Amino acid sequence: MVQVPVRTINRQQRAQRQFLTILSFLALPLILYTVWVIYPTFQTLLLSVTDWDGLSKTWNYVGAENFNRLFSEDPFRKSIINNILWIIVFITIPPAAGLGLAMVLNTDVKYDRFLKTAYYLPLVLATVVAAVVWAQGIYNPRTGLINTILSLFIGKSAFEIEWLGNPNLAIWSVIAVAVWRQVGYVMILYLAGLKTVDAEVLEAAKMDGAEGWTLFRYMVFPMLAPVTTIVVVISIIDSLRSFDMVNIMTRGNPFDSSNVLANYMYLSFEDYKMGYAASIAVVLFAISLVFIFLYLREVMRQEEAA
Amino acid sequence: MKKWLLVALGAVAAGTAAVVAQSGATGNLVYNSQASDPAPRKFDEDQVAIFKKQYPGINMTHNIVDIEGFKTAIRTYLASDNPPDVLTWYAGNRMRAFAERGLAADISDVWTKNGWTKSFPKGMQELSKSEGKFVFVPTNYYWWAMYYRKDTFAKLGLKEATSWTQLLGLCDKLNAAGITPIVTGSKFLWPLGGWFDFLNMRVNGPKFHFDVTDGKIPYTDARVRKVFTYWKQLMDRKCFNSDSASLDWHEAAALMTATEPKGGMFLIGDFIRDQWKDGNEKTQLDFFRFPIINSQVPVGEEAPTDGYFLPAKAKNLDNAKLFLGFIGSKELMEKGVKELGRLAPRSDVDPALYASKPQIAKAQATIIGKADAIAQFYDRDTDPEMANIGMKGFQEFMSNPGALDSILKRLEAARVRIFK
Repeated sequence: MVQVPVRTINRQQRAQRQFLTILSFLALPLILYTVWVIYPTFQTLLLSVTDWDGLSKTWNYVGAENFNRLFSEDPFRKSIINNILWIIVFITIPPAAGLGLAMVLNTDVKYDRFLKTAYYLPLVLATVVAAVVWAQGIYNPRTGLINTILSLFIGKSAFEIEWLGNPNLAIWSVIAVAVWRQVGYVMILYLAGLKTVDAEVLEAAKMDGAEGWTLFRYMVFPMLAPVTTIVVVISIIDSLRSFDMVNIMTRGNPFDSSNVLANYMYLSFEDYKMGYAASIAVVLFAISLVFIFLYLREVMRQEEAA
Repeated sequence: MKKWLLVALGAVAAGTAAVVAQSGATGNLVYNSQASDPAPRKFDEDQVAIFKKQYPGINMTHNIVDIEGFKTAIRTYLASDNPPDVLTWYAGNRMRAFAERGLAADISDVWTKNGWTKSFPKGMQELSKSEGKFVFVPTNYYWWAMYYRKDTFAKLGLKEATSWTQLLGLCDKLNAAGITPIVTGSKFLWPLGGWFDFLNMRVNGPKFHFDVTDGKIPYTDARVRKVFTYWKQLMDRKCFNSDSASLDWHEAAALMTATEPKGGMFLIGDFIRDQWKDGNEKTQLDFFRFPIINSQVPVGEEAPTDGYFLPAKAKNLDNAKLFLGFIGSKELMEKGVKELGRLAPRSDVDPALYASKPQIAKAQATIIGKADAIAQFYDRDTDPEMANIGMKGFQEFMSNPGALDSILKRLEAARVRIFK
């Protein structure tokens, strides 16, 4: 009877001590996170209802005006459509191509190390460098690689194809470069996933007569499902974050036909429209939040299962 | 006695000269400039070297920033608590936008101390003021014109156009010769601002144009719309390179500097001269005034003015003001005329210097000297946000002239919101 409360106190004390230990480990990252992520996030929310120009000392509260304008203006509509196009392409082509490459390179092909490196290399290159090389060396209508090669087949008219200057082509040209970088990344994720696939299970499946497409469709692919989820969610988040490629290659030109939300926000900073830019950031944040939530839920579920 | 006095005076004079040549000023000075093109960069580095020699006690840091990057970075400089002490910038609305927000230091004392109110013409002084105070020092200006390949024109027997029909004629003849008549590059939008400015000034006159850039006239006004019908005539005649949206102005200029030029004309500022790095511009480059369209309206020309200002939060204001006094001096401006071939805003610059530069003499005689009004440039005369939306509209118009009505409607909505 006497011992029970004593033990309770001990347990409480232990829990308290444990909590303090955990906190002391977490303190530094938590402080940094608060200063650099949480505080700016709230600051942005506040800014989005003001007309601050980024230079003046004062600003006015304007309520939902920024958002009303945002939803009625053309550049925003074009940007959001381009973000959606980007997502659609990103959740189909890079995962398919990356998975295909991973499947091939996971078998004993010749030069697989070289090939893996080659496919991964675009990702190692700084985005800015890749964007400049593509914009000036490959897409340039008069001297670029593509039109020069095309001209061998279709003659001089090839030099009139404006990969980045034609409003109907520009966004696709930019997305193509982003896909080129993303494929290698997805491939690495799947290669890592394939290493975790239990060889014995596959062996057993083969014994039962599964091979080729059937083996892939009913055994390998389902076992890769967790990786696929992560790949899809990462691709969506990367699509929403897309900024550097667009800003370097086209700045959203011609006339916003290749704009995306992040770049539109940046250009608004440049136009002294901090409040307006913040409202774009808030919309982008809200959209991202949905996918980040899905991603976190999947990661947590996997960790709990493990 | 007299001799002694002379010697004494001489000694005093020599002493003063020594003081001028080597001042005892100390401390730091940070100067950020946008002179990233080769010729202006060399000039900029030279003038800093001379200043350092004159003021050896000042520890000066000079940063040259890429010109397009500078236009963005300047906001960060001005918003920070530790901005550079001296910055390059543009006269007009671009300067006023900063001054009205209290971001530019009052430098009226620099103007009085150096006696500039007497050595700069009234127009330049007005351009340098905001709310009655001096905030800017203009150091050079240049003209815009139709630049063309002199050798190509001579070979094809073409003449400078003075009227609209002659310009259209030039397009036809250059097209027939397989050369793109007029090149432009709108990747960074601004070269198209020049087209709107000139067409509007030639069709409706400079007064009306200033009303447009001041936001007083709707973009849907029939007179503004008319400007685009002239623009469209050029497009219908295939005057422009079709890939203008893909090129920046350097790349467009490269179409003209090539040994076998692909482009005949370029509506641009005199800085295009710097693109001829081989010294061939004397035989290859010439210019003419933008042709008259409506002879009933006064003639407006485009002559943007570049210069300097000091951020209000500059830490080393005294040294910065010494530097302003230095770069605004007659000697430095004459050096600029000599080496860069730009016009000096001071009225006391040696006329022989202008005469020695054939392009300046020609610009004075045919463009600047004959102008009834001078514009700065679309993106310097109007609000910065309006300028961006406007020029994006011009770019869309050049790609899809059929969308003119919806473009003008969009510009008008922006005008109403921005100039409320």
